[in-house]
Parts: sequence; C-alpha cells; structure tokens
Amino acid sequence: MSTESVLTADQRDALQELMNISMGQAANSLAHLIETKIGISIPKIASVTPEQLFSMISEQADAYYTRQSFLGDIQGEVMSVVSQQGLCEVGALLEYDAPLSQTDIQEIILELSNILAGACLAGLSAQLALGTNLNMPTLFSPRKANFEEFQWSNSLVMEVQFDIEISSFSMRVVFCLDDASLDRLTQTLDELLG
Amino acid sequence: MFDQLVAKLPVGICVVDEQYRLQYLNAFFLDRMRPDQRHNYLQQPLISIFPEQAKFLTRRIKSVFVLQHPSFSYWEQRAHIFPFKSSRPITGEETQMYQNMEIVPISGPSSEQKLACIILQDVTAQASYLMAQQELASALKQEHTAQRKLIKKLDSAQSQLIQAEKMASTGQLAAGIAHEINNPIGFVTANLATLKDYSEQLLNLCDALADKLQVTSPSLAQFSAQTMDTYHYELLKEDISPLVDESCEGLNRVRDIVENLKQFALEESTGWQLFNLHETTQQLVKLVGAQYKAPVYKVSCNPPNLQIFCEPASIKQALTNILINAAQSIKCKGFVKIDIRATAQRVSIKVIDSGVGISAENIKKIFDPFFTTKPEGMGQGLGLSVAYTAIEKHKGKIIANSNPGRGTVVEILVPVVHPEQRHECAEPLGGS
Ligand SMILES: Nc1ncnc2c1ncn2[C@@H]1O[C@H](COP(=O)(O)OP(=O)(O)OP(=O)(O)O)[C@@H](O)[C@H]1O
Ligand SMILES: [Mg+2]
Repeated sequence: MSTESVLTADQRDALQELMNISMGQAANSLAHLIETKIGISIPKIASVTPEQLFSMISEQADAYYTRQSFLGDIQGEVMSVVSQQGLCEVGALLEYDAPLSQTDIQEIILELSNILAGACLAGLSAQLALGTNLNMPTLFSPRKANFEEFQWSNSLVMEVQFDIEISSFSMRVVFCLDDASLDRLTQTLDELLG
Repeated sequence: MFDQLVAKLPVGICVVDEQYRLQYLNAFFLDRMRPDQRHNYLQQPLISIFPEQAKFLTRRIKSVFVLQHPSFSYWEQRAHIFPFKSSRPITGEETQMYQNMEIVPISGPSSEQKLACIILQDVTAQASYLMAQQELASALKQEHTAQRKLIKKLDSAQSQLIQAEKMASTGQLAAGIAHEINNPIGFVTANLATLKDYSEQLLNLCDALADKLQVTSPSLAQFSAQTMDTYHYELLKEDISPLVDESCEGLNRVRDIVENLKQFALEESTGWQLFNLHETTQQLVKLVGAQYKAPVYKVSCNPPNLQIFCEPASIKQALTNILINAAQSIKCKGFVKIDIRATAQRVSIKVIDSGVGISAENIKKIFDPFFTTKPEGMGQGLGLSVAYTAIEKHKGKIIANSNPGRGTVVEILVPVVHPEQRHECAEPLGGS
C-alpha cells in the first residue's frame, strides 16, 4: 500500500489534517448522541488494489460488514467493519432491550454504520466544501470473489477506527473513492493548499 | 404547486420539529388516519398519534437532529413502524403495511429552525414477494434434503438387493457344491468302513502268525519279533483303529453340514406346505452357530417335532434374521435360546438372548427398514423389517422386549392354519 502514486506529500498531509478534524467531529456527534466517550484512531490514507482492500476489510475475525454508496461531487463507497464483541453494550446505549434479537443486531449495525459513515462523510465534505449524499447502508459479507470482480485496479482509501470506551466494541470505517472523484479531491486539496 | 405535489406523492411525508411535534403530514399519512385525528394533528406530539414505535421513532429523530444526517430503517429489521394497512399482492389479503423509512434533516422557513422529515415507503409488494420467495426457497431446500435422503436409502436398498442376489446365487452354488461333495463322501465313507474291517483282519493275521511261530520255530519267532519291533507293530496296532474311527466321525460331520446346506440352499419350494419347525430350527441353529461361536445355543420345542402349515421360505427367513440378531448381540459369552410352543390356536417362537439389549428409544424403531445401530457396512437394518413382512403374511405378529444390558426376547406369534383352510390365508399359490 502506498500513497505516492496518487497523492503528493503535501496533498496527503492536507487530507490527513482534514480527516483528523472531520473524524473528530464525527466521534463527537456520536458521543453526544449516545452519551458515551468515543475514541478514534489516526486516520490512515492509502492507495490499494482490490485484493489489498479485501484483506484490509476481512483481517478482523468476528465482524459484521455493511456498505453504503455516496453520490455527489465526490462518489464512492463506504464500508464499515463492526466488531461482534461489545455489541450488546452498544445496543443498551442505543436503548435496545436485552437480549438482542437477530433483527435488533442487524438494525444496530446498520444504524451505527450509517451514523458514523454519515458523520465522517459530512465532516469531510464540509471541510472540502463538496456536496455529497449518502445512500442507505446494506449488510454484506465480503468474499474474495466479489473483490476480484471490482472494476478498478487502484483506489484511494481512508480508514478510521472508532472505539467505545465502556466496552470492547470497535468499528472501522473505510472510504473508497473512484478515479474521477480522486481527481476532484486532489484538485480541491490543491486549491486549499493554494 | 409543490404543496399539491407533496400531498399526492405515493410515499408518506411527515415533518416534525425538535420537540417531535407534527408540522406537516401528506395525504399518504392523512388517508390512513382516524377522521378525528386528521383535522387537528398540527403541533400534536408525533408519538401521541403514533405510539406504536414511540421509543424507536424518538431515538431515530433525535439522531437526525443531533447528527444532521439521514437515518434509515428497513422492513427486514422493523417491518411496521406506522400502523397502516396494505394489500399483499400475492394473496390479495390485507395485512400490516411493510415499510422502509428514511428520516432526513431539513430546515424550516426561518432557516435556523431545524426540522426532521420522515419519508415512508410502502414496500409490502416487495416484501411479500421476497418472503414468498424465501418460503419457496426453504421448501425447495427441504425437498432437496428429503430427496438426498431418499437417494441414499435407494442406494443402500440397491446394494442390499445386490447382496441378496449374491446370497441367492451363493445359495445355488452351495447347493451345487453340496451335491458334488456328497458323491465322494459316499464312497469315502463306504471305503473307510471296509478299510476298518481290512485293517482289523490284517492285525489279526499278524497276531496269529506270531503266535504260531512262537510254538513251532523259536528262531523264526525271534526274527519275527525283531521285524515287528523295527516296524513299530505295537504302536500301529494301538493307533490304527482310533484313527479310522476318528476319520469316520469327521466324515459324518462333513455329511451333516452338507446335508444342512442342501436343505437350506435347495429351498425352492415356495408356497404353503407342512413343515417341521422343530427340525428346521435345529438345522438353523447349527448354521448360525457355525458363524457366531460366542453364544451357547439351545432349542426346545413343545410338542416335539412340531409341524406347522405355512410358507416355509419366509418363516425360515424371519427366523434366520431374528436368530442372527440374537447371536450378534452376544459379544463374548452368553446364550441364545429358542423356545417353541404350540396351542390349538397359535404357535409361539421365542428367541431369547442374553446380549446387549435394545434401549427403550431404539426399540420403537427396530422394525423400520434401514434402522440399524450396527456400524456402516455391517448391518443394513433390513433384517427385522423383512421378518416383519414375512410374519405379517402369516397374519401373525412379532413382539420385541428388551432389558438393556441384560438381553432381549423376540417373540413370533402365528395363528395355526390347517391345510384345508389354505385358500383363506395369505395369497393364493401361483399355478395351483
Ligand atoms: N436381539 C437383539 N439384541 C440387541 N439388539 C437388537 C436385537 N435385535 C435387533 N436389534 C437392534 O435392532 C436393529 C435392527 O435390526 P435389523 O435386524 O432390522 O437390522 P440389522 O441387524 O442392524 O441389519 P441387518 O439385519 O440388515 O444385517 C439392530 O441394528 C439392533 O440395534
Ligand atoms: Mg439383523
């Protein structure tokens, strides 16, 4: 995984900074909503092949997956990897009654992905002054096969991990951009860099 | 114009303010509400009109206000949020409406006023198609597994048939061989009897000669004694007759076995006839005992030499299967007892063993075809079901009782049939 091919060092730094700010905002909104402290990792930015993306997504055992596309000035897909561990505590924070049923769990996963992906995307779009709209999330299970069928060979991904303090729960959000959006992004970054 | 458009949209539109009070409902909502609610809903709390999913709605709307980001809900996880009806296109019947919901943040006329807009979609058609499809898929899957099972059973039935076919031809072969062996056994037996005579005479001859020499010629007597010693005459004389006797006995045993084999293998006389149950059972025990040596066998019959009118082939088959099971149930030591009793009305054949027994759970299933507890390849689970059919043919029944760990009793009960009643019982005989 490297970023050299797609972003210059300056662009990369600028994006990193913007990500830090917007992810922080996302974490804050979520913390406010569920009234719990939330930790975030330093966002990672990389250029990956579909196989790399697959191993990135599926390296974690015991996880649920969702994906959600976004349209607008920049387009792409967000994948969320939600840990199975600690989901019950999160369910309680979201005011679900224990024990969680299968559909409760699905609903919680979808809602969490939507909240976090939405918050991240909103923050990033706001920072970059770009308009985007997130579509509804769906559950999926990554299989090597569907990744190998991807139409692109290289994509910029931004990854951030959220942890909820009171439980072992964690969640990763991975953004993938298509080529046109990447151009648009670098252009915007250049404008910001002056 | 936009007001009309929104009112007529085929999706539900509902707008609430930050206190969850209703600001707007379009026709989709209004048409489905009680008349008294329809006219003065403005500023009413959303959950006072739609209390069904109050907690969920409140939470989701709160999230939209806090995050300023849309929230989604799908029918798969939460089918009915608002208590509306819809018709299911498959069956046509009315059901609860299946709903997808999206809540989006919007701003009011004064742009700092935050509002949330609930967009409700009726996805009953989609949902019922999907559910029908899922039902179909699971029905198909069930059928598929049932078929797989059947195929497996067919496979094993086929191999059982092949086995039976083999057994039948083995039987034929055995009969042929038995016949072939019988001839040489006949003359070997006769010759051996003659040889026994001859050897006795030869010994007598030698003794007579030696006696005579003793008296007439001491020198020749000396020579003869020496020669007899050289050829171990005393030993020969002692050994020869038991040897011949043992051989005769051995031959008798061979003839017995061949006789039994012939009796069973040549059993082509299907159809109803008088049949000596006692004798057959004894033969059977010999045959089974030759293969299963662990148990001690015992046959009792009251009255002795009981004759019954039946279809011998199937009765023998049933008895064989039950006897083999009993023999197999004994791992190292024990007995198998066959107790035959007859009254004027019925015949009872009890096969009693001191083997491993059958658990209460299994005993219900032992007559089912293919039920077996024996390792793969050892039992087909057909023995008792074949026996059952055979006894059923005789309008009789089989009862099994078992004490796990102690032993099992399988009892065959058949009504006594007299030859003149033959046409009344079972199937008519082919050709007669
Ligand atoms: N006398 C017995 N003692 C203990 N178990 C018995 C006895 N008779 C029958 N069973 C049980 O009933 C099962 C079914 O018997 P059945 O004769 O129908 O089939 P099988 O002996 O397993 O196979 P097959 O007779 O086709 O070789 C046996 O597997 C065994 O568990
Ligand atoms: Mg058997």
